[in-house]
Amino acid sequence: MKVTVKSWTGVALWKWIANDDNCGICRMAFEACCPDCSFAGDDCPLVWGHCSHVFHMHCICKWLNSQLNQQLCPMCRQTWRFNDR
Amino acid sequence: MAVNMAVSRIKREFKEVLKSDEIAQCSIKLELANDNFTELRGEIAGPPDTPYEKGTFLLEIHVPETYPFNPPKVKFITKIWHPNISSVTGAICLDILKDNWAAAMTLRTVLLSLQALLAAAEPDDPQDAVVASQFKDNYEMFCKTAKHWTNVYAKGPHKFPDFDAKVQRLRDMGVNDFDARAALSRHNWDINLATNDIF
Repeated sequence: MKVTVKSWTGVALWKWIANDDNCGICRMAFEACCPDCSFAGDDCPLVWGHCSHVFHMHCICKWLNSQLNQQLCPMCRQTWRFNDR
Repeated sequence: MAVNMAVSRIKREFKEVLKSDEIAQCSIKLELANDNFTELRGEIAGPPDTPYEKGTFLLEIHVPETYPFNPPKVKFITKIWHPNISSVTGAICLDILKDNWAAAMTLRTVLLSLQALLAAAEPDDPQDAVVASQFKDNYEMFCKTAKHWTNVYAKGPHKFPDFDAKVQRLRDMGVNDFDARAALSRHNWDINLATNDIF
């Protein structure tokens, strides 16, 4: 039997590769966006710290800006440094 | 559009707490005190092998608009005799509710930390200096007093008839129940010193 494909629709799934399901700051799923955004993905990216913890970029920036003295990871309290992977 | 992060997070946390093991074990509870998720009521069970054992302690929780970037404001509604909690106002001295707050902490971890504080007081960093000095100078008296307060205010099981009788004697002189108990507790249950303090 021969089948002729007349048309097809591609479907793709994407997922962040992170060590957790939710952002520890806003508690939203990483596949969703932070509460300030409307679109997930490149509009609301994740960032990694040297300590290996992951957050929405918008969330960790808000946290760091709210800290007066030290810039600590909200999970492990190590000094926060962005990890450019 | 942007939703207030404080409200959306509290909604999620609320669901998480309801599903947690601690709820199942009846060791902590959380309920809403208003409809917009800014005022909550917490409840913790007194930890075993402490003067607070089998007591139930109510907490008032206020969630600021800047939550989780600032800590929730928490105080005890139930009167408690503890070095790090004001016996008068219920104000709490705990680092994570002040400078050591981190955005990854939740109402569940706050309630568990408060439960841990009941099991491990820090008399060198007191909120109530009177209680702290009693804790350091006369630990046995501190334990009896804390158990008595747990019995009277937190439904704890240990009754102290001699303490109740002394409170009653001051009440007979027209002093209100709490003032009488507080004055006696401050003076290691010496009724003469307590009387001098009040009058």
